[in-house]
Amino acid sequence: MKYKKILICDDDEGILEMMQMILEDDFMVIAEQNSLNVYTQIEKEKPDLILMDLWMPVLSGDQILKNIKKNENLKNIPVIIISASTDGKKIASEAGANGFISKPFDMDNLLETVKSLVP
Amino acid sequence: MKKLDNKDTPKLNHSLVTDLTLMKKALDASSSGIILTDHLQPDNPIIYCNHAFEVMTGYNRNEIIGHNCRFLQGKDRNQEARLKLKEAIAEGRDCRVEIRNYKKNGDLFWNELYLSAIRNSKNEVTHFIGVQNNISRRKKAEIDLLYQQQIMEKQIIERTRLLRESEEYLASIVQTVRESLIVLDKDINVLSANEYFLKTFKVSEIETKGKKLYDLGNGQWDIANLKEMLENILPTNNPVEDFKVEHDFPHIGKKTMLLNAYRIELEGNYKDRILIAIEDITERREIERRKDDFLSIASHELKTPLTTIKGYMQMMTRTVPENSSDKFRNIVSKTELYVERLNNLITELLDVTKIQSGNIELHKELFDFDKMVAETIEGMRMANENYEIKLEGFTNAMFNGDESHIVQVLNNLLSNAIKYSPNANHVLVYLSTVSNYIKVSVIDYGMGISDEDQKKIFERFYRVGDIQQKFPGMGIGLYICDQIIKNHGGTLWVESEKNRGSNFSFTLPINERETNEI
Repeated sequence: MKYKKILICDDDEGILEMMQMILEDDFMVIAEQNSLNVYTQIEKEKPDLILMDLWMPVLSGDQILKNIKKNENLKNIPVIIISASTDGKKIASEAGANGFISKPFDMDNLLETVKSLVP
Repeated sequence: MKKLDNKDTPKLNHSLVTDLTLMKKALDASSSGIILTDHLQPDNPIIYCNHAFEVMTGYNRNEIIGHNCRFLQGKDRNQEARLKLKEAIAEGRDCRVEIRNYKKNGDLFWNELYLSAIRNSKNEVTHFIGVQNNISRRKKAEIDLLYQQQIMEKQIIERTRLLRESEEYLASIVQTVRESLIVLDKDINVLSANEYFLKTFKVSEIETKGKKLYDLGNGQWDIANLKEMLENILPTNNPVEDFKVEHDFPHIGKKTMLLNAYRIELEGNYKDRILIAIEDITERREIERRKDDFLSIASHELKTPLTTIKGYMQMMTRTVPENSSDKFRNIVSKTELYVERLNNLITELLDVTKIQSGNIELHKELFDFDKMVAETIEGMRMANENYEIKLEGFTNAMFNGDESHIVQVLNNLLSNAIKYSPNANHVLVYLSTVSNYIKVSVIDYGMGISDEDQKKIFERFYRVGDIQQKFPGMGIGLYICDQIIKNHGGTLWVESEKNRGSNFSFTLPINERETNEI
């Protein structure tokens, strides 16, 4: 069975590592800490799903998301936004996110949401 | 009379005598005192007095005849009327005076004296006739009146002084108060402005007084909305309260001002003046904004490591080896519990900032209210095995609201009930419906809350003084509960007695159709 490929991006190393550990049993996980590299990683890796923090230095999650949705080749990749911010859900849905998870999240909830988008 | 007869007309016929007798009787019948004096004799002696004069003075005729009138003045010799009288006699003029006279027994009486000169054929003054009336009563009334007038004048002066003093006192308060105050007339022209106003807006009195409010500065108060409200104050007596004006003011730059305006009433004297109080809240707002920003950023930053901890904690729970000891399992589950508690605290902090910035989001859905309550209580029971949480009553209601928020309120009230009842072992939750409202009461038998604190516990960051040390907390739980209930259109309140326990109740409005049919 071929593992589905998930790109995760968070500027916080601890969260990135922890998410990788949660997901790596079921998915092939590519972790990226630098938001500036996310776009090239997506183009290069063509992941089946993107899991991305909202508030990241330099380039925020919703900016990256808008670019993805503008790109004909990438716009069909489901994107889940994760955020601890109050208005994160609103910003994410306005930018075209396919899912939203608030921090701190429940492990089972994360897995369920991801699996519902990449069956 | 005899003397007179003998001297001037020695041969009188009978009818003349009869006439004189009649005239004398007429004079005696007069109620006015009448005397005649002989001006041709030295010192102008009295040669006749009638009966009324005797009565008036208390002297007998024989004590009167031959005396000069002045004997009636006693020792009271320096009267102005006397001089007037003296002059008139010397010049042979008629005159009228009011003079203080003294009766034989020494009693003062006011004598109104009409003096009239009698001349002979050579136009020489031969006699004076004096007609006198005791006007003491009238005089007394006059004097009393004068006295009353004087008292009244004194009082008026005193009142005026007091009024001026209190006016000055008020004016000094108005001038020293650290709030900008201006008074407007009915056409919204500035009648006066206090010093603090001039200082705050860095303007002079000339630039302000007499000008229309809307023309002040660069038109900072020329706001359609404000205009309408100000112009409504006088006819409706509806004050303008806490009207916020954000403006780039001349001289002082961008500021936020809070404006309050009221109709001034002075004991019904006038109702056509408006008092405006203006408060500069720029700094206060900035501090509040920074504090809210800080809370928002701080809780966000705290959530980042917490997310990692929570994630690992969950993984740890799932990867506890089969053969691990109970102690180890207990440690893991306790750690998970406290991580959750930490998460709740941070969520609360974030909630406060959300409420403050008006960003609280309600995700309303219909849910079974009684089921929600039962489940929440069950969760609380598991965490507090030493307490019995009794549930009585029911609502049978499907409620349209944010279930997670209502759960949060109930959890908060229950954990407070337990937290602040260290010496009790049970808590009662009572459900009912009152009219079209759900009512929930959480009743404990703990330490209770004093009347004074009851008013403040719903304020944010308020903690009751004497429990601050013993019971940890941030003082925001009840504030959030109150806001959540308010956002659902209900009310939250407390009834409590110190050392007897507290009853926290809240109501939520339900529509008829949402009530289950039994």
